[in-house]
Amino acid sequence: MPQFPRICILGGGSAGWMTAAALATKFPNAGGEITLIESEQIGTVGVGEATLPHIRFFNQALGIDEPTFMKTTKATFKLGIEFCDWGKRGDRYIHPFGDYGFPVDELDFHQAWLKLHQAGKAHRIDDYSFPILAAQEDRFKIPEGDVNEVGSNFGYAYQFDSSLYAKFLRSFSEARGVKRVEGRVVDIGLGATTGHVETLSLEDGSKVEADLFVDCSGFRGVLIEQTLETGYEDWSEWLPCNRAVAIPCESKGELSPYTRATARTAGWQWRIPLQHRTGNGHVYCSEFISDDEAIAQLLDNLEGAQLADPNQLYFKTGRRKKFWNRNVVSIGLSAGFLEPLESTSIHLIQEGITTLIELFPSAGIEALDVDEYNRRMGLNFERVRDFLLLHYIATQRDDSEMWRHFRALKLPDSLDERLQAWLSRGHIPAYEFGVFLPPSWLAVMLGQNLMPTDYDPRLDRYEMDELHQRLETIRTQTADAVRATPTQAEFLAQYGAASRSPRAKAAS
Amino acid sequence: MVASQKTLVVIGRGLAGNLAALALSNSLGPSWRIVQVGQPSTPPEDSFYGNVTAPTAYNFLRSVGLDEPRLLRRSSTAFSLGTHFKNWLGGASWMQCHHSPFATPAGAPLHHQLTRLGLDLEPLLVSAQVALAGRFAHPPSDPGSVLSRAEYGYQFDPMEWACLLDQSLQSSPVEIVECGVSEVETQAGNITALTLENGDTLTATLVIDANGPSRRESLCSGGAFTTKRTVHAQANQTSTPQTGPACQSVEASAQGWVSTAFLQDRALGLNVSAVRGNNAEQQGFNIALGQLDAAWNGNCVAIGHAAAVVEPLTPAPMMLLQRDIERLLGLIPTGVNMEVERREYNRQYRDDIAHISLFLTTLVKSDDVPDSVYWRDAQPTEPDEKLQRKLAQFEHRGLLVSYDLEPFNDEDWTILHWGKGLRPRQYDRTADAMSQVDATQTLASIRQSIEQITPRIPPHGLYVAKLKDYLERQAHG
Repeated sequence: MPQFPRICILGGGSAGWMTAAALATKFPNAGGEITLIESEQIGTVGVGEATLPHIRFFNQALGIDEPTFMKTTKATFKLGIEFCDWGKRGDRYIHPFGDYGFPVDELDFHQAWLKLHQAGKAHRIDDYSFPILAAQEDRFKIPEGDVNEVGSNFGYAYQFDSSLYAKFLRSFSEARGVKRVEGRVVDIGLGATTGHVETLSLEDGSKVEADLFVDCSGFRGVLIEQTLETGYEDWSEWLPCNRAVAIPCESKGELSPYTRATARTAGWQWRIPLQHRTGNGHVYCSEFISDDEAIAQLLDNLEGAQLADPNQLYFKTGRRKKFWNRNVVSIGLSAGFLEPLESTSIHLIQEGITTLIELFPSAGIEALDVDEYNRRMGLNFERVRDFLLLHYIATQRDDSEMWRHFRALKLPDSLDERLQAWLSRGHIPAYEFGVFLPPSWLAVMLGQNLMPTDYDPRLDRYEMDELHQRLETIRTQTADAVRATPTQAEFLAQYGAASRSPRAKAAS
Repeated sequence: MVASQKTLVVIGRGLAGNLAALALSNSLGPSWRIVQVGQPSTPPEDSFYGNVTAPTAYNFLRSVGLDEPRLLRRSSTAFSLGTHFKNWLGGASWMQCHHSPFATPAGAPLHHQLTRLGLDLEPLLVSAQVALAGRFAHPPSDPGSVLSRAEYGYQFDPMEWACLLDQSLQSSPVEIVECGVSEVETQAGNITALTLENGDTLTATLVIDANGPSRRESLCSGGAFTTKRTVHAQANQTSTPQTGPACQSVEASAQGWVSTAFLQDRALGLNVSAVRGNNAEQQGFNIALGQLDAAWNGNCVAIGHAAAVVEPLTPAPMMLLQRDIERLLGLIPTGVNMEVERREYNRQYRDDIAHISLFLTTLVKSDDVPDSVYWRDAQPTEPDEKLQRKLAQFEHRGLLVSYDLEPFNDEDWTILHWGKGLRPRQYDRTADAMSQVDATQTLASIRQSIEQITPRIPPHGLYVAKLKDYLERQAHG
């Protein structure tokens, strides 16, 4: 094989250190050839504090011990996301990590539920979901045993301090030979004939040369955009939110094993409970609200005392026209930005890394690798975009300019057809490649009051009483399993994952 | 009669019609009346469904009462570990076997280690080796046994299965009318009434055209069949004193190809060639390869050969037929307006056809084909972006490009590429995580396990005979 390419990662936030850790683990013989440049003068955005269950596979592939990781990053477990005020004001539902109930023979559970619901014989669908009920009672356990049994058919993710995660992965990566260089890039040298990035010059006069650059420099896209001028596909038409303000606060009460996203008049607010504090933010569209109002709205809705000054972020939703251009691969915010409504920021980083590893250049940069990388990541971004858009258009709200904007929006055909299939018969077209599978679509559509007018006619082969009995068994077993589950705080302590630091307090 | 009962009419009593009628009858409740019309004879074109199924057929067949004990006891069905391509284009021979996901030594896909070490794939495939040795046993559930990696389908006779299904239909709620359709009345793209040859008239909510390649009902409601060529097929059978191997064989000939499937007591042959001058003098039938642009038009759904005809070089025709029926079951209309169901059905149908075509095109695509009408016409004429990507990426670096919900899986594709002689120019660097010595040893140990277990597995015929004995004893208490 030809010599292993020299890799330079620019930027040391979650994207940078996740990339470094994964490459150093997957290519252990390349130690010393991976350099990460970061500057302590440049802050990291750290938007993605909440994750999706796939992060566990990422950590497992790195051989990371879960309790240690959780203790270090002050992480909590996450069973889903609670959405408040989305369908209409006063609504709340949880999008859980896992299926509702169990199939009735070969038929989807939700179809049986729809039939019973139409006959007025079903409980709310949440009552057939272990992760929802457990989340509502702040309980948690790790799913073990047969996935076909109640109490085991769910997944989980984490809510963590992403700057601590980056720090954790930094030690991990450096122990595996990744070289960290402190400094700001002041000049970028391009190859005269290839147009490839060849050298990054730092303030202190030192230079880093590499064959492959991973741009993890955040929104600025120092290499992919400022240098290579790759271009950006603007998705503001679909997802117009363009600003966010983040403020941590003291946490109150039990540790919730779920993230909360509350719809506001010009955007939405996140709440991410960590072990020592609660992360909060307001994502909004500047066309519909001023920055000051947005901050005021957020401050009015904090559960505890403010722990830091507001951190203001500016962005444009969309994606880089090419995620991989010449010898630069953009991962993280430099690749594109989709608001973190479904905790996809870190997931898209992970997808970028996994895809890069699968298409890792063996003999120089080859067009076929670049092309396939861009195809795969494009599909990932697009499918996440459509799922995010669903939250805004599956609504009865029209109480502000933003909600009226969405009411008037012409949907992409693929999403429109999806909605019609759901509304007429509870059908959810399946795809294989994409992070959100049918149970996620189901959770949001039902949660936001899109009730199908009919159900799969195959359910009519069952007597109503038989179906009722089957679902009742699932419901009572689910409730029993939840009762036997410890609270998250108890579980963290017994699992050895509880942080030793006390909960943060605001300066008095 | 149930109040507001809807009527579903299945036209055709061959394999497709019988599978569909029974599957519908088992799936739907009393609010649907199911009527099946047609002469009780299996059309000769049913032999173009081929003689093999893929492992994915197992649960589907069970759901229509074709469970394994019944198939073995009541028909000459035998097991299939895949298809043995012999003397294929450019002289390639390989076993296109059914296999569970390949081992991934040190996290890298198996074929990257093979590329790295310059080794062959087939000696590491237990289903290939067992089939080639003429042996068979059920894969055990114990993952410690190398045989657990094998998967299997069946070798079967479509006519026989149609008869078995017909027996089940006789005792099912399906109303069978033993005559064909003489007239079809349509209005605004929907079939409003079917006049039968016996003079009766049926009004139908939904019509299933399972009447083979004549496609009358679907055409009348607007479907267009796209075909690029017509081939001639001739089926034959010979009795065999002993059951042959647990794999079908397919061999290229100068004028086309010949397949032989080995059932319990006979061998079924299919000879496919270009259409020749005087058809009247030839045995067999001509059949147009191609597909309806949309299989669901108005209130009529074409399934099986009525929708699409692909060459039975692989289990593809049975895969498509199964998917047609499963797609239909999942989208039985809830009301008179079927727009949502029709659109979703046709979307899935087009994807399935396109993905099946990728596999079949790869199989017949070659620069080294016999100089004959059949083989010249079999070559793709237009570039297909999805196919080019699959071939280019595998050749470039052994990357398996997949699209949503393809019928053929990664293992099928890897075996096909390897069998046709396509080798990656480079392997994935993740394979280097294991030293060359360790990788060599790991693969050698898989090969040795297969070599050790294969002679201990009984011959296919003996296994079937003993299993049948056991099943008979069980059946008689």
